[in-house]
Amino acid sequence: MTPRRRWPEGPDEVSAELRRALDEAALRGPDDVTLRRGWAAVANPPEPPRRSGRRGFWFAGGMASTAALAVVAGVWLWPRAADRAPMSRAKALAHAESVVGPGARRLTLEGGVEAVIGRSGVMRIDDGAPRVEAGEVRFSVPHRQPGHPFVVHAEGYRVVVVGTRFGISVADAAVLVDVDEGIVEVWETASQRRLARLTPGERWNSPPIEASNTPAPPAAPAAPTAAPAAPAAVPTAAPTPSGFVMPSLLAHAHRGHHRSVALASPGGAGDDAEPASPGQPARDPAVAARAALSAGDPSRALALYRALAQGTGPSAENASYEIGKVLNEKMGQPAAAVSAWRRYRSVYPDGILRAEADVSIIETLAKSGDADGALSEASEFLRRRPDSERRAEIARLAGDLYRARGDCRHAVNMYQLAMGATRPRDAVEAAATHRTECLARLAAEGAR
Amino acid sequence: MNTPGLIRAVQSSGGPHADLELVTRCRRGDSAAWRGLYDRYAPIVHRFLSAFGVPREEREDACQEVFVAVYRSLARFRGEARLSTWIYRIAARHAGRIARRRRVRGLLSTLLVREPPPPPAPDPSERSERLQLLDEMISKLSPKKRLVLVLFEIEGVPIEEIAKIAECPENTAWSRLHYARAELMAMAKRRVK
Repeated sequence: MTPRRRWPEGPDEVSAELRRALDEAALRGPDDVTLRRGWAAVANPPEPPRRSGRRGFWFAGGMASTAALAVVAGVWLWPRAADRAPMSRAKALAHAESVVGPGARRLTLEGGVEAVIGRSGVMRIDDGAPRVEAGEVRFSVPHRQPGHPFVVHAEGYRVVVVGTRFGISVADAAVLVDVDEGIVEVWETASQRRLARLTPGERWNSPPIEASNTPAPPAAPAAPTAAPAAPAAVPTAAPTPSGFVMPSLLAHAHRGHHRSVALASPGGAGDDAEPASPGQPARDPAVAARAALSAGDPSRALALYRALAQGTGPSAENASYEIGKVLNEKMGQPAAAVSAWRRYRSVYPDGILRAEADVSIIETLAKSGDADGALSEASEFLRRRPDSERRAEIARLAGDLYRARGDCRHAVNMYQLAMGATRPRDAVEAAATHRTECLARLAAEGAR
Repeated sequence: MNTPGLIRAVQSSGGPHADLELVTRCRRGDSAAWRGLYDRYAPIVHRFLSAFGVPREEREDACQEVFVAVYRSLARFRGEARLSTWIYRIAARHAGRIARRRRVRGLLSTLLVREPPPPPAPDPSERSERLQLLDEMISKLSPKKRLVLVLFEIEGVPIEEIAKIAECPENTAWSRLHYARAELMAMAKRRVK
């Protein structure tokens, strides 16, 4: 390795200043919120890693694929036993499976989804999405990319989730969905209508079969029914599905037959996930909103973020926060921005951007001249968040507000708090300077 | 010290074997490995993009796009270069694209007699005047010189690696560094006067 030396080396002031600037540049970095937000965006990348072929091969590749498709179709359509499983259609989604209790199995599906199949549970992989055919299956779904919800089918319903823990039971064509964490939506497959939006602790029972077969039930059932009924009785014997059923899912795993499945790539989630649910725009609204902002159209961005904020998951949370940012930075409406961030706080009291929302509110109130409001928010922030990385900035800001009022005693306390933090360095340094100034003023007042 | 950031990251990564192993795990779909890779390199990419002059409002998206590009290209990483070198190369290309896009936007605005895109807003998290001045001066360097200077002086990347990132011979990298330093110093002196 090449030996390093510090540059510029000169003893003059310009060199020293340049050296300090380079050192500062080397120390700067994103805050944790930015990193967490970044991780939420890339945790589940949209495409799996693959080798990019040269363009010259595309034609040959296309011809080969067509030929292969013809062979597969020929083999598939060849008249044979009707009960033969459509192997090529069944997406190999399972990563791993393990026994988690008497008769129960845990499967890790694409995108890190965990499914625990109860003793008599039957789940089949149908066109890339799981379908609960009988018994109880409980799912734990990590947060998903916007526009790529996890979808489970059960009878004539689709259960659409962005990231949560929930269970589905199917018995005698009746479906019960219950939610442990997050928010789950139940859609009627035939009419493409949302029937229920469930929050933790709520359950939804499908209507009786006669009713479910009649088209377009009224809008009222959309409200989740907090059904007191216990989960439907699970059949003791699993029915034999007509299509491909992952053998291990039949809860009769002791027969020792395990079908080998290919590992899904880490990016497979996006590709295999069902398309966006009805009403959801095909393009990622967050991307569209950012594009609108870049194009200088904050009203459109705001509308997109507002629509997105109606949903669930990290994208809705980010959108709720971004509404305030757009209102404040792009539309010059600080009061509306503060209201938007307060709304964010009430919906996501422990949200990932909670600290960011708090800081934005404080800074915006201070800038718009509401010193009382800013100081009250700042005190609350410092009380609630003793370990926040934004502590120094907020304490310094509160100190400045007190100092501007001539309240040096409180200002000194705040600057002291700011100096207790280690970063950002400029906030700590400024706090130290102003503290000295306030102490001098207090001493002068005392002398008088 | 003038060699923070990457050098520390590379040393803590455990060398090329550890890099290759990490990438192999990512390819296999190990989400913990992907998280590990993100945690290790996201701050570095972010800092590099800042130093390279990607404006604050585009930086977060740019960083995410770099990681999506990294993920998509994982299959092409053969372990011949350090993972950091490879990621820097992706980030540098991306930063170059952003700069070009910005230039084209500015040009189009001029041609269409529209208001040119506003200058990047000062980053409130980087309130140091010294740092803002440095960014301004660095942004006046040519992209090739800027890349070498940022990697060497701010990121602390050895010149051998910089040559790989910039896809040029080592001597050329040294020469670009020499001229970049001279230009930066001249700019700093002009400011003082």
